[in-house]
Amino acid sequence: METAQHILVVDDDREIRELLARFLERNRFRVTAVRDAREARRAWPHAHFHLVVLDLMLPGESGLELARWMRSQSDIPIIMLTAMGEDTDRIVGLELGADDYVAKPFNPRELLARIRAVLRRAGEPAVRRETAGAAALCFAGWTLEPARRRLLNPDGVEVALTGGEYDLLLALVERANRVLTRDMLLDLLRGRQAGPFDRAIDVAISRLRRKLDDDGRRAQLIKTVRGGGYVLATSIERR
Amino acid sequence: MTLWPRSLAARTAVVLLFTLAAIQVAGLTIDALDRQDLQRLGQIRDVSVQLATLYRAIVQAPRSARDKTLAAIALPPGMHAAIRNQTPFDAGGRLPLAPEPLERAIRVAMYLVRMPPWQRPHQIIMRGGLASERLLVAMRLPGQDGWLTVSTRLARPQPWHSPSFLAAFALMTVAAALLTIWAVRRLIRPVRTLAAAAERLGRDVNAPPLSEDGPTEVATAAAAFNTMAARIRRFVEDRTFLLTAMGHDLRTPITRLKLRAEFIEDEEQRQKFMADLDEIEAMVAATLDFGRAATASEPAAPVDLAMLCQTVLDEAADVRPEAASSLAYAGPAHYTARARIGALKRALGNLVNNAIAYGGGARLTLVPPERGGKAEVARIEIEDDGPGIPPADLERVFQPFQRLEASRNRETGGTGLGLSIARDILRAHGGDVTLSNRAGGGARAIVTLPV
Ligand SMILES: Nc1ncnc2c1ncn2[C@@H]1O[C@H](COP(=O)(O)OP(=O)(O)O)[C@@H](O)[C@H]1O
Ligand SMILES: [Mg+2]
Repeated sequence: METAQHILVVDDDREIRELLARFLERNRFRVTAVRDAREARRAWPHAHFHLVVLDLMLPGESGLELARWMRSQSDIPIIMLTAMGEDTDRIVGLELGADDYVAKPFNPRELLARIRAVLRRAGEPAVRRETAGAAALCFAGWTLEPARRRLLNPDGVEVALTGGEYDLLLALVERANRVLTRDMLLDLLRGRQAGPFDRAIDVAISRLRRKLDDDGRRAQLIKTVRGGGYVLATSIERR
Repeated sequence: MTLWPRSLAARTAVVLLFTLAAIQVAGLTIDALDRQDLQRLGQIRDVSVQLATLYRAIVQAPRSARDKTLAAIALPPGMHAAIRNQTPFDAGGRLPLAPEPLERAIRVAMYLVRMPPWQRPHQIIMRGGLASERLLVAMRLPGQDGWLTVSTRLARPQPWHSPSFLAAFALMTVAAALLTIWAVRRLIRPVRTLAAAAERLGRDVNAPPLSEDGPTEVATAAAAFNTMAARIRRFVEDRTFLLTAMGHDLRTPITRLKLRAEFIEDEEQRQKFMADLDEIEAMVAATLDFGRAATASEPAAPVDLAMLCQTVLDEAADVRPEAASSLAYAGPAHYTARARIGALKRALGNLVNNAIAYGGGARLTLVPPERGGKAEVARIEIEDDGPGIPPADLERVFQPFQRLEASRNRETGGTGLGLSIARDILRAHGGDVTLSNRAGGGARAIVTLPV
């Protein structure tokens, strides 16, 4: 068995810190939990962390500043805990290069799914280089803005996406021209959706095709790969 | 009075126009009387000069040639003259004596026309005058030469009858009327602005303040209005702040409880525990949404409204897969409009969730504005097949925290904020949402959205 991955949890609430550490440890992670930016900086040199779960609302130095500092130190994946509905925090955080966010109060299992998905993504070096910090990803006339989690059509009109559809599209764009297996897709949607995930993937893909004006039967953009899986067949331009 | 117009502008204009007309009439009358006097004087002068020159021409002619001389003189129209032996006016006695000013003017004229004193008429008799429009004058020639009698017509003065006069009057009246209407409209405009601002404030407390310039009274009213709006805004903000502060503070304990739930061994209990927590979280989320709807900062941008409607249904289907088959969209595949997408999604989501929660499903119809129609308003209808809403409660349910007895008993969960959030958002977009009952049973939410 591979050695457990090490997660740094930064949250000022002691109870949440301890409960989250226990929960993640039970799911076979190693956890170091600290209460603020100072402690985080102190713990930083002593361990090799694989991922940071960072509360944005910290006493003293803010979570955003800490995230910026961490970004300057390494490529470590960061998942932010944002206040429910505080869109600006989320946007700034994602623009700073955080990999994902979860709104507080979060469902622990959803957080777990996000941690796993981000770690998996971090394991594919090419993927990280392509999207980290990009303000816009353009493909076939369409524009995906990761920081604002939005999709613009070739006329610059915003096309609404559900949370699941957005995650799916981002995953496809990040891995353009490479096959996304059903396993990876399952990972993405878990925690987002209730019900049988297998069907949910097909539903989400067909909705995405409809939104991208990609005719289902002769799909040009999102192609179905025989043996299970999908591929976004287009080149991506970063802006 | 039915003729009395309703609008302040029209009333002011009518009053001003009547005043103007009265002043015009008075002024014209005074002018006309003046002109009449002037015309009369002119007439008298003309007639007396004519008489005097005629008399001189006759008196200085040789006695035998007088009749011929008289015939040769071209008399002005309406004047007849004759030389007689007897005293005239045997028949003209019916005419009154000539008025004194006229008589005096003629006598003076006789002295003003140059002639030797002994040639001057020995006697002048006058009858008639302006009132009878005729004047008879008999002038006695020196010696026993008889009388020169002249009868002339005196035209009554007609001050109203100048041809340019009517045109000038009409032009002046029209110009004055137009000017009055224009000025009144300008002056009344601030009142309309004020009414529009009050209307806007009713829909959106964050509407921009009125500009406080213009005439003193208007500026004062605008300032008073702005102060009132600011007070209302502060009141709403305070209340909202209280609400959102509570919502924010609840997040930490809810997060703790959710984490704790993961350590409950009994799976069934854990799930129930989580379901309760989700419900509490939904209430907190609604409370925060409610606070945010009043202070929306999201910019408006072009949005595919058709896709947005479908996404709202898709999201509802993701959250409640059991209702997925009873959700339907009808309308165009694409339709672009300017909107605050996050807020609009929340508003439509609340309506769709109500249809699902209380009506078991939702049919959403998007109707873009008619091509060439006057008002550019898109309509979105959300129908369900539930029990509908008692007619008396159709408006009440839009108030915050209002839930109907039937829903409370059915334990659907909810805070009673969904509809008021939806209405706040849509009104901030310049639109609205209303509820009605469908003829076939079930409720229908009608959203209007200017595009
Ligand atoms: N489609 C509907 N059919 C029947 N009743 C409805 C419908 N939509 C709303 N209501 C009634 O209006 C009330 C207020 O709705 P809302 O403001 O969304 O609050 P909540 O859904 O949290 O109760 C609901 O409690 C319900 O009684
Ligand atoms: Mg509701």
